[in-house]
Amino acid sequence: MSAVKAVVVACNIVTAYGWGVDDCWQGLLSGKTAINRFDRFSAKSFQTRNAAVIPNLKIDSKESLVMQMLIPLLRQASTAIPDDAFLILATTTGEIDTLERYVLDSSGDPGDSRLDYLLKKVKTLSGVNDRGIIISAACASSSAAVAQAASMIHSGEHDCVLVIACDCVSEFVMAGFSSLMALDKDMAHPFDANRKGLSLGEAAGFILLMNKTRAIRENRPIIGEIAAWGLTNDANHMTGPSRDGKGLALAIQKALRLADVSASNVGCISAHGTGTLYNDSMEMKAFKTVFGTRALPTYSIKGGTGHTMGAAGLVEIVVALQSLKKGIVPPTVNVRDVDDEAQGWVSSESSVFDGAVTITTNSGFGGINAALMVTNGRKEVKDAY
Amino acid sequence: MMTAITGIGWITQHEYGNVIHNLNQRYSDPDLLHSRLYNEDIFLYPVKNFGRFDAISKMTCCAVALAFHDAKIQYSEDHKYDMGIVGMNTCGSLASNICYFKDYIESGRTLARGNLFIYTLPSSPLAEAAIYFGCQGPLLYMYFLHEQIPSLLLHAEKILLNGETTRMLAVVAEEHKAVCFLLTRKKDTKTNKVYSHEQAISTIREKHLFKENF
Repeated sequence: MSAVKAVVVACNIVTAYGWGVDDCWQGLLSGKTAINRFDRFSAKSFQTRNAAVIPNLKIDSKESLVMQMLIPLLRQASTAIPDDAFLILATTTGEIDTLERYVLDSSGDPGDSRLDYLLKKVKTLSGVNDRGIIISAACASSSAAVAQAASMIHSGEHDCVLVIACDCVSEFVMAGFSSLMALDKDMAHPFDANRKGLSLGEAAGFILLMNKTRAIRENRPIIGEIAAWGLTNDANHMTGPSRDGKGLALAIQKALRLADVSASNVGCISAHGTGTLYNDSMEMKAFKTVFGTRALPTYSIKGGTGHTMGAAGLVEIVVALQSLKKGIVPPTVNVRDVDDEAQGWVSSESSVFDGAVTITTNSGFGGINAALMVTNGRKEVKDAY
Repeated sequence: MMTAITGIGWITQHEYGNVIHNLNQRYSDPDLLHSRLYNEDIFLYPVKNFGRFDAISKMTCCAVALAFHDAKIQYSEDHKYDMGIVGMNTCGSLASNICYFKDYIESGRTLARGNLFIYTLPSSPLAEAAIYFGCQGPLLYMYFLHEQIPSLLLHAEKILLNGETTRMLAVVAEEHKAVCFLLTRKKDTKTNKVYSHEQAISTIREKHLFKENF
């Protein structure tokens, strides 16, 4: 394990709960969902008309939906972002609404929806000198991006990396998920015995990672640390997870090995918890494979924020950092009757948490799994618990 | 460099081959590129649903198979491997995005086709390859604005040297051409038939694969 630490010195998100980490955090603690009926486009022929959309984003604006999220977020953060930060953009579909416009009314150019075009805009917006890279790994895109960012800092390749994530609720995506029968007709109920599918959500956010030595030198606030990560693939199916959870378990075990710590050092799990039958079951199997019978406080935010796709991992890391800071495990919003597999792990109530290490997990189409070890950055992982 | 390239597979609209073992085959019928690929001697066993793959997925899987062949690695549907895969291209999934959404609109804007939707992720071609070849390591679609193939190889190397997996595939795939590099840590390499990154890139450029933009 590298002696270099990758610490989070700035972060922010926008979700359907509102602008900023606090809005999301308070929304989750309230137990109320941000998934609602929406009118951005007609969803009457889909499985559901509900999604977690950010109020006041305009589909007919000159800016794409994700740019409407990113412009205020990054402008507000401009003084915190050093111009020598290496840039990583994580997304699945980026400015897909521009492609919708092209197909629907032949306006614009479909190429405007290319992810590299978005990367150039984001580079300008964030004010960094670096040309940046894109990382896309389905619904694990931003967790994979944060993992790569931490790796770049651990290896000494960069001492400051800016990860930006975004994805929007679009007719394009919702029609697709609906065709796969992946949506709950009401709203997502992660880890519930009666869960029937996911709810889409949208979000954008950023995490600024820095080598700890530089962070201290520049008097940056240390919000937390990305201590380790593990990335695996089920190599099994395009749209469904491996039922036995072995791929995700391996990702968590890789993270533990990288940090050179044991499972007993982990105090909490921020699960992917989409609300689909197979994802949540697979995750519980993975958690039990790694952590055994020791039921760890486990939560999913997707009953509140919806499934924010490529942005989900980053949003969940930011929430995990807030959880570590506040010493509170947030409730799993929308869980009513906890599934037998998740009994003792998942709760509809928040709880006090005095641990220092959270594992966050994400999985995506194509069997992609990501596990990150997030700490409060105040003590060595080995000393936690 | 602490890694070596032990296999390079490539495919275009007219030919396919590998580099280290110098295979160069012309297609039996270039006009039927995608439907013919399945019947060419590229894969060791049938690729499930190959006909439904989008063009980039087909090219990706072919290039990976040819890289395995070049590295003399026998893969099997009964085994999975600790091998990661990173890939890139120019336009992500743009062509598949247009195809999927036009189909949805032309079908009356009511029901989309899931089989088209799954290829609207830039990472899907890599995922098809991971499923077929049993690659259980990290899987990332990446895009670099400059020095694209060297940057991709370098990133694959970093993942290897980090100990995150034992072998890496680095794939550049467009709709009508693809190249795949198979990377191994030098200390794990049993053959002396290896290429450095520079040799690999120069060979690919000599073949006029990805010369212009990469």
